[in-house]
Amino acid sequence: MTPDLPTPADGSGESCGCPDFTLSRRRFLATTVAGAGVLTAGQLFDDAWRQVAYGAAPGGNVVVVVSLRGGSDGLSMVVPRGADHDLLAAARPGIVVPEATLIGGDTNFGLHPAFAPLLPMWNAGTFGAVHAVGLPAPNRSHFDAMIEVEDADPGSSGRVGWINRVVGLDASAQPEGAVQLGSALLPTSLVGPAPALGVRRVQDLSVPTLANDDAAIRRTSLGQMWARTSTPLGSSVRATLATAERLAPLVASADDVVHPTAYPAGPLREVLANTAALIRADVGTRMVTVDYGNWDMHNGLGQPDSGWMADQVTHLAGALAAFFTDLGAAASRVTVVTISEFGRRVQENGDHGVDHGYGNAMLLLGAGVNGGGVRGQWAHLNDLNDGDLAIRQDFRSVLWEVLASRFPEVSGSKATVFPGFVPETVGAMS
Amino acid sequence: MSPAAPAASTAVLPRAGRHFARRFSGGITPTLASQITRAGGGRRWFSQQLYPARVTDTKGDQVNTWFPSLKLTPAQIFQREQDDVQGSWDVMADLSRWTVCRRIHSTRQVQELMVEFWSNLLHVPLGDDLAAYHRVSYDRMIRTYALTSFERLLLHATTHPAMGLFLDNATSSKQAPNENLGRELLELHTVGVDAGYTETDVKSSSRILTGYRSDVWWPAFQTFYDPSWHWTGPIRVMGFQHANSNADGRAATTAYLKYLAHHPATANRIARRLCVRFVSDTPSAGLVATVARAYRRNNTAVRPTLLAMVDHPEFLASAGAKVRTPLDDYVATVRALGISLGKPVDGDSFANAMHWHYRDAGQAPFDWPAPNGFPEVNGAWISSGRILNSLEVHRTLAFGWWPRDEAVFRKPAALLPALPATLEAVIDHVAVKVIGQAPSAAVSQGIATALGWSLSRRVTAEEAQRYWTLPTIVVSLLDSPHHLTR
Repeated sequence: MTPDLPTPADGSGESCGCPDFTLSRRRFLATTVAGAGVLTAGQLFDDAWRQVAYGAAPGGNVVVVVSLRGGSDGLSMVVPRGADHDLLAAARPGIVVPEATLIGGDTNFGLHPAFAPLLPMWNAGTFGAVHAVGLPAPNRSHFDAMIEVEDADPGSSGRVGWINRVVGLDASAQPEGAVQLGSALLPTSLVGPAPALGVRRVQDLSVPTLANDDAAIRRTSLGQMWARTSTPLGSSVRATLATAERLAPLVASADDVVHPTAYPAGPLREVLANTAALIRADVGTRMVTVDYGNWDMHNGLGQPDSGWMADQVTHLAGALAAFFTDLGAAASRVTVVTISEFGRRVQENGDHGVDHGYGNAMLLLGAGVNGGGVRGQWAHLNDLNDGDLAIRQDFRSVLWEVLASRFPEVSGSKATVFPGFVPETVGAMS
Repeated sequence: MSPAAPAASTAVLPRAGRHFARRFSGGITPTLASQITRAGGGRRWFSQQLYPARVTDTKGDQVNTWFPSLKLTPAQIFQREQDDVQGSWDVMADLSRWTVCRRIHSTRQVQELMVEFWSNLLHVPLGDDLAAYHRVSYDRMIRTYALTSFERLLLHATTHPAMGLFLDNATSSKQAPNENLGRELLELHTVGVDAGYTETDVKSSSRILTGYRSDVWWPAFQTFYDPSWHWTGPIRVMGFQHANSNADGRAATTAYLKYLAHHPATANRIARRLCVRFVSDTPSAGLVATVARAYRRNNTAVRPTLLAMVDHPEFLASAGAKVRTPLDDYVATVRALGISLGKPVDGDSFANAMHWHYRDAGQAPFDWPAPNGFPEVNGAWISSGRILNSLEVHRTLAFGWWPRDEAVFRKPAALLPALPATLEAVIDHVAVKVIGQAPSAAVSQGIATALGWSLSRRVTAEEAQRYWTLPTIVVSLLDSPHHLTR
């Protein structure tokens, strides 16, 4: 995470993007101890709101959420054509992606040329995008906006992320149902009462062995030590041991089933190789979260064929193309959606970069995607929100279409997944 | 539990003393156990701890000399970053290390825990790039007032440049007030979100606070009160009113913060939060009321408030009710293993390398991005990933795999009883030194299973000295409910 540095360009000495008084910005991850708002273990583990079971039946669909942390510049990735491109070029004389270099896309948009590895999927209709998407109100703080996106429950004081609410609908959910790969720390979206698992690599999903170097003996030993502990911690330890036992065959074969060399070198290589192996193993995983950071391009965004943005997109596109290849037959049940906490300012700054902005693009790939075009409403660059691309659809509308399309069992539970939210129709899924 | 008392040279503390040790220290050790015994029990040890200046702290004093960057002024930290000498993020890593070293080695354990408690309530993240230059100074301030009164803590924290830069009050002016700190002051630091204040109150709260400027890049690195930025005019927030007619609004701010510190809703929130951290996730209304009453009757003073909490019967009845957070666990594990850290010399030194170890395992001090601080309820800390991480940390530290430089590990012989002895006796003997008590029968059986031996087996010296034997016992104890709860 790289928080923004203030830019003194306006002479006020104030950091850019400070919300003004009228905005009345609310922080969405509220306190644990706000008045009577303490979440007790009992409240945290109240099963009453779990409504449906879509559990670990084999061959279930999987949604992979790739978080482009740092605020990706959607206007360099999914670039408007025509009059909007003229406006963009005027605002970004040093860094705009020239219209002539765009690939794929549709009549109104083209893709950054570094998306070339994914062009076959675009042309096949399994890679698409939604533009002018974001939070319901601008929030130009990395921290707050990320929390807002991942909690996705404005005004709630519970620390329950939207993915946790999704998997929590299934009373029989197991930790392997919702997995963060690449890090053992759960992102905000996974935090909550439903079981979830954060792990760097598949092979870490085992209990560390001791004498005899035997995982089964070790699980039995830990099970005996914790057998009489009737607390939520005790339950979680036992669930963890059960998960480790179920995944033992996958962990044992990790060296064979995880194929990092099939991916381009870079931060997504290991994590997507592990994600593919976990999905192919078909152990009941429904949601996977993956982080791909380094998008905070306040300076030196670069040119279409080289530099920061080109490198970032080249790796993203190459790694995702490799991922769908690596999935093999399992690709037919996997959908990828990208999300970032905010887009960037339309106007380039004095350092050939772009400061924090608002509206952004989301990318969708794989099963069920209505690809080959940019879906939803477009906000045009002659109608900006305080210098930023405005939004025409709430990010939750896109996520809800993905969930409802891939998990029909969940489609009746919008009020639990996104409380109080009325989604717009975007058309991101077919 | 074995029927006979373990044949250990270290006395096992009585239940109450053990509970004070586990709740108000980084973890029980033989040294702490004897300090509590010498003090005349847990309650007496605790009341001595409330006056840290009177507690000799030889190792803590040594630790204070290990991280020279923490002696730099905010301006020096900024300048050294500009000169490419040392980034502020390096200083922040040192603050994290020094904090953990003190939690491991200081004799002033209650002070360390109260610094953690107030830092988490009046939270300024380790990772905030703007606040970073002032974060060490902020920590020093918290330490100074940690055992005095909440009124003093609140006055100094709210007007500190670290808080001002983190929550945008440093750039909030009468022309463009920023409501970030004004809101969190009410919601997080004092009365709480359901205290009945309005959006108008939030705006007024923000206006009172205008004037406390802190600049980083432009026009210069400076912190000062700027009357020309202060919003003047009558102010009303909840029951607080002030003419606020002076361009120097510091007196108005002080009056406002005092009002908030003494507000009954603040008393209830502080009381509840103390109880959640030190008693249980579900403190009774009676306990919270008792603690809140002590807080109000003593003008927000910390010491009588804490004493009211530990003197309530619910405190002693809550043994084992709290889950150790990953950082609690790391500190307690190093203490349980008797690892003595030395002055770091390079990145591989334990006191330096451990920052990455505990951070990757889930938690470094103050390293929570949002203004609400780390969660303090059990439910946040019991995920499968967290559990597997803790198991791995226990094994890595107990075997002395990494980090290991500039650290003295306890010799295995210091843990073992006279041999041969039954496995059960060996486990009990080791456990008293590692977790301060003999384990439950279930834990002993689990350890026997891990070793593949029966509890009645006679363990010879040769068997006990095999590579895996003793660490299997020690790691299992650390992986047990005895160690993962407090």
